[in-house]
Amino acid sequence: MNGIPYGIQEGFLILLSVLSLLALVVILTSIKKLGISKEMIIAVAKGGAQLFVIAVVLNLLFVYPAWYIPIWAFLGMMVIIGGYTSAKRATEMPAAFRITTPSILTGGALVLTVLAVTRAMPLHPQFIIPLAGMTFGNSMRICSICMERLISEVKQNKAEIETALSLGADSKKAVKNHADTSIRASLIPTLDNLKTLGIIFIPGAMSGLLMGGTTPILAAQYQIIVYLMIVGGGTISTIMATHLAKRKIFNDKEQLREWVYS
Amino acid sequence: MNNILDINDLKKSLEGTPVLKSIDLDVRLGEVMGLLGPSGSGKSTLLRCLNRIIEADSGDIFYKEKNLKKYPPSELRKEVVLVPQESVMFSGTVFDNVAYGPSIEGEANRDHILTCIRDAGLSSDFEQREAEKLSGGEKRRVALARALALEPDVLLLDEPTSGVDPKKKEEVEMSILNFSDKRDLTVIWVTHDLDQAKRVSTRIAALRDGKIGGIYDCDDFDGGEAF
Repeated sequence: MNGIPYGIQEGFLILLSVLSLLALVVILTSIKKLGISKEMIIAVAKGGAQLFVIAVVLNLLFVYPAWYIPIWAFLGMMVIIGGYTSAKRATEMPAAFRITTPSILTGGALVLTVLAVTRAMPLHPQFIIPLAGMTFGNSMRICSICMERLISEVKQNKAEIETALSLGADSKKAVKNHADTSIRASLIPTLDNLKTLGIIFIPGAMSGLLMGGTTPILAAQYQIIVYLMIVGGGTISTIMATHLAKRKIFNDKEQLREWVYS
Repeated sequence: MNNILDINDLKKSLEGTPVLKSIDLDVRLGEVMGLLGPSGSGKSTLLRCLNRIIEADSGDIFYKEKNLKKYPPSELRKEVVLVPQESVMFSGTVFDNVAYGPSIEGEANRDHILTCIRDAGLSSDFEQREAEKLSGGEKRRVALARALALEPDVLLLDEPTSGVDPKKKEEVEMSILNFSDKRDLTVIWVTHDLDQAKRVSTRIAALRDGKIGGIYDCDDFDGGEAF
């Protein structure tokens, strides 16, 4: 069997019937008085609408002969939204957007370039968009954890950092352990997922490929590529983020900035 | 050069509250200057400005007749070393901690580090002990040894005997005075203990309400006129 065995119109009918699951969940949560029924309906409606909008746009993009022009707007939007979303986890650090956005861009762009050069990512929007989405999305998630942890490490250990500075260490050395801890902490969930691949769950890309009719071996190969891309992009993004964050943590006199003491 | 530090009209506010209102002070080469004052009088803030861990809002500090701002901060902090009130230990052994400063620029000399540990009043058994597991008083000494290892010209001590067992207090004082004498160090010693200030200092500067209330020779200082 190759791909989903029905067409778009039939698909809508099937989707409507599967929506009975939502009705079931809403009834259950109402009986249990969990107070999330309304939110659940709104979330499904909002998420569903967003997916259909993006599906329509992608449908147009996939058949557009000059797709290589508008695709940059797509990629740029992914990076900017990723940067803003990640910066929301670092509100204590002023203008964190200027750290998260270039970090996500660098990590994502580097791994996508490697994927393109090695032919792991065929240069077609059908591959570029989902892979870029996964790369930038995961880099954003990893970068968010890293920034949140870095801020908490610096605030909790400001006395230690000041002690290092007062003994002549530069800002890079004074914050190194805490930056390294933040990078490690942000990558642990991804590494844990990698270790349990195929044992606890079959991950999204492989599941999608299997449903699309790809052979299990090829789907597994591609899933490993996707994970290497996620780990690679995340690692580069966090290294870059912790490097750039030093300028937000310390001033040019190698002193901790005011926000660290607040 | 008579004065190693000259402080002129130094002002510093923290979170909008003036802490140092106008500090004028000169510190002579090789002396132990006691900086005495009640809690919140700005003693620690002054030391932090001298080590440039924080920046004064206005005024000038001259170190060896050159404005402090003209020194690269990391280089200055190796010469004007601060031992803060809270003795934070880095993870690792006592040796690792004491070697922290010298190892920034390369391999620390083992004999030098061991001498500093001894000079701070710790026996050589401490060398391989886990620094974070030491008692408060022992940590104070490791912090002193760590500062000494940089071979500073000026040592800024913020309540160096706070948290030290009263029986050991004079022992710590003696070791500081010994290495100060041995190494011809200039020391600024912050304390709120009048007796201690009189025991250890060459001169005493009384800090009150963010200003220097007076500078006194140790022998004719009874504290009454300053506070």
